Amino acid sequence: MGAFYCSICRKTDFSGKGHIYGKSHQSKLKVILVKFTEKVKEARRTIKNPQVEKYSPHHEEKFWCYCCALEVQKHVTDSNISVLYGGLLEHMSTPEHRTNTHKFWWDNKAEPKLRDKFIITEEETERFKSEVSKALEQFEEKEDVLIKQQAAAIRSQEQHRLEVLQSLLEVCFPGMLQAYPYLSTQEQINRICYFSGNVHTGAVPPWLLEEPDEASSSGQQEMGPSLQEFLKHKEQEKLKKLPPNRVGANFDHGSHTDANWLPSFGRVWNSGRRWQSRHQFREEEAKTRGKRKREDVGKATKKQKDLSNGEL
Amino acid sequence: MSLFLPKLSCKKDIDDAIKSVAEKVLVLRFGRDEDSVCLQLDEILSKTAHDLSNMASIYLVDVDTVPVYTRYFDISFIPSTVFFFNGQHMKVDYGSPDHTKFVGSFKTKQDFMDLIEVIYRGAMRGKLIVQSPIDPRNVPKYDLLYHDI
Repeated sequence: MGAFYCSICRKTDFSGKGHIYGKSHQSKLKVILVKFTEKVKEARRTIKNPQVEKYSPHHEEKFWCYCCALEVQKHVTDSNISVLYGGLLEHMSTPEHRTNTHKFWWDNKAEPKLRDKFIITEEETERFKSEVSKALEQFEEKEDVLIKQQAAAIRSQEQHRLEVLQSLLEVCFPGMLQAYPYLSTQEQINRICYFSGNVHTGAVPPWLLEEPDEASSSGQQEMGPSLQEFLKHKEQEKLKKLPPNRVGANFDHGSHTDANWLPSFGRVWNSGRRWQSRHQFREEEAKTRGKRKREDVGKATKKQKDLSNGEL
Repeated sequence: MSLFLPKLSCKKDIDDAIKSVAEKVLVLRFGRDEDSVCLQLDEILSKTAHDLSNMASIYLVDVDTVPVYTRYFDISFIPSTVFFFNGQHMKVDYGSPDHTKFVGSFKTKQDFMDLIEVIYRGAMRGKLIVQSPIDPRNVPKYDLLYHDI
């Protein structure tokens, strides 16, 4: 005859038409049918009493229909609610499935009595559909009730919190009366309470609230450093970049010195520290001043001799 | 005589210049405006002043107006140029007897600019005495007058 693949035994067979009458084929067939029947029985139970549930991932499951050799969705869902076994029932009521089932029974020589269980008639389908619409309505009503309960619970919680806050404020801030004398106690508390509103209640953010008594009395206050300070800062930044061990790094450029101040100078005839040069000079000055007091006017010319043009 | 270089005529002005010039070499030329060598030097100073403006400030001082500093700096020949940095005196070894000042004029503008640059770099590295980059043949020779003789 030829080779054909028996999907029940999951074997290639060369014995032709005789295979389906064989013991192993029939026993495997029975096992399969038992399993399949279970699934269908479950589905049939819901025809009269469909179950509508909230969506869960397990509702995406599929099952294998042996007759059509297809994977079919078991339940019907629209991602929010699901009708259990809706898919299965719908598939089994299609005419294609009917023909496939007949074919399957004829090819595999199964018990004909069992065949009808796997087909769902039109009456059953109609019945199922009406029951489903009723069930859907009931489900939605239940959902509404639940939501309303939750909303009421949240509202009561919020109210309770507000009351607690108000009572606490009355205790802790008796001074509010003086600060806002033009408001009643209740309004003051309300003010404070509603300041604590948040983004979700659409409350005004605190930094945009008008302060009626403070701040604006001092006029336009500028923020940040003034121009002078900024320029000074820039100069200081430049100074920081210079090498720290440079000559005179710690020299105070702004210090006020008196008329007798002499800079740090290393003199020609002084091979000691720099301050010794200054010391030596001051001594010399003292001496020459002493000398001049003793000698008289004529010595004024003495200085001019020292200076002459460089010999070049 | 230079029209562009600032002049200092009293001790207070010199003190202010020494104290106020910050992070730059202070060049004080002691001399007389009419003297020929001073004129030569002044010309070099004024022509290079702009190019060296970031490293040095140059001032002219008439020796007759500030006897105190003339004595303090031991100025015996003119022109004499003294260098300061941040209020500290900078010494330079030119190969001549006196390291505390430069006596005479420079041969070229480049010599003066090189000298200023060497002083500036030495000061930035914390040296109070530096080695002159000028060829000793171009440095004016003089005999140092001995003190108290």
